[in-house]
Amino acid sequence: MLNELKETIRYRELLVNLVVRDIKVRYKNSVMGFFWSLLNPLLQVAVITFAFKGIMRYNVPNYSAYLLCAFLPWTFFQMSVLDASSAVIYHANLVKKTYFPREILPISIVISNLIHFILALLVFFVYLLVLGTPILATWFLLPVVVCIQFLLNMGVAFFVASLNVFYEDIKYMATVLLNLLLFTLPIFYLIETVKGSSIPAAYRPLVLKLFYWNPLAYLITTYRKILLPPFNVAATSTSPAIHDIPLSYAYLGLAALTSLIIFIAGYAFFNSRKWKFAERL
Amino acid sequence: MQKDFKSDYAVSVHDLCKSFILSHGRPGTLKGLFMLLNKSGSEKVEALRNVRFNVAKGETLAITGKNGSGKSTLLGVLARVYKPTSGSISINGRLSTLLDLGAGFHPDLTGVENIYLNGAILGLSRRELKRCLDDIVDFAELHQFIDAPIRTYSNGMMMRLGFSIAIQTDPDIMLVDEVLAVGDEAFQQKCYAKVKEIQQKGKTIIFVSHDLEAVRRVATRAIWMEHGRIRMDGDVGNVLDAYISAYGSPGELSNAG
Repeated sequence: MLNELKETIRYRELLVNLVVRDIKVRYKNSVMGFFWSLLNPLLQVAVITFAFKGIMRYNVPNYSAYLLCAFLPWTFFQMSVLDASSAVIYHANLVKKTYFPREILPISIVISNLIHFILALLVFFVYLLVLGTPILATWFLLPVVVCIQFLLNMGVAFFVASLNVFYEDIKYMATVLLNLLLFTLPIFYLIETVKGSSIPAAYRPLVLKLFYWNPLAYLITTYRKILLPPFNVAATSTSPAIHDIPLSYAYLGLAALTSLIIFIAGYAFFNSRKWKFAERL
Repeated sequence: MQKDFKSDYAVSVHDLCKSFILSHGRPGTLKGLFMLLNKSGSEKVEALRNVRFNVAKGETLAITGKNGSGKSTLLGVLARVYKPTSGSISINGRLSTLLDLGAGFHPDLTGVENIYLNGAILGLSRRELKRCLDDIVDFAELHQFIDAPIRTYSNGMMMRLGFSIAIQTDPDIMLVDEVLAVGDEAFQQKCYAKVKEIQQKGKTIIFVSHDLEAVRRVATRAIWMEHGRIRMDGDVGNVLDAYISAYGSPGELSNAG
């Protein structure tokens, strides 16, 4: 694995070129390039906020910020996986004709999505300034959390990219699974709201455990905990009380460990198959 | 292994074998995989069997043969696109593959941007590319179009650009699949002149071709592949004469494409 890593580093110019190409192509065709690609999550968040706050009377203060704070990392994960699924097939011509470390293809995909995510986070901070939420010391943890998520995304991307060469329906399966994940992860709701939910009280600890053990769920929650202030909401006639659950560094550590394992497993899996790609495309 | 390879060989191929597993109902989908579990319909195809040859530095070798004779697989193994099943190859020097039609081009990027991208695929650094950027543009004769997106190019312009990048990269060993000269008559003449120049610099060229005219014109030596084995290896004139007397006129052969 170390040798393969060295070879990838030797081809870093190609990696840089592919990332630059992705970014250029994404933002080139229109003057508003970057804003168009940001418009999608922003509009979604606006509509969801309206639905939850306006119609369902979800009484979380600054709900849109909590939603956006989870939605942006979610988009980073989703786009990394979806783009990676077609990364090798899209470059079939190159893979069949030339030598280069194959892992450069999924890596370039996840890096360009990372850059996009960072740009979106900058916009998010501007939004926080507009809302007037406090500046927190935990903001400094953000790079760490982004790095952990990068490992996780990369690991899953390696699996999806290599499997899709052999079984082309992996891409469709990924789309379906991602849609299910969107609702089973604490994105539209907060882990705190499990307590007052209609889930039978006996199962609530289990549901919470699933959020703690799932690296993506806990990373998304961590973004909220470190970027936004904690809050407690008293019960009203329409909704139960919400009590803040503070960030657990133990569970964040677990998420980091799981992400690292998924990354290594994904890389090893990809490496074991990458020289069969040309034979299958 | 390559360090103590101090002979005059640019490429050395030892007992190379390559087999592919060819399943009849190719499990390109998960459904296909489940359906295949019921039957054992996979077949081993031996594309290369005990292929053994050396290429001296400065030699221009043509590999020829009918479709399915294994010549493209051989080129693929040399280009490190396929891993050999058994046997080995030693390569002495920098090797680059001439990509047909600029396989790595992106339609929305400009000519210059695509030169950097394609060059990186061929393993060149940005600095090296900067140095030969003008030569590439000159050779492709695309001065006024080089800042326009590739999608506005004609097919011929794209081929010229792809060819110019590959030929300007100055590798020690050049692998060429079919295309040795592209474009109109005048540009083809330029391509052949460039190939000659590369040969005179003492570089090694290995190319696969159906085009017997091109083979005779450029190569010094030819290998005739048949059923994954080398049927004949030697001076280009002798091999081609034997090849033509075995398979018929060159006209029919170049149509086999």
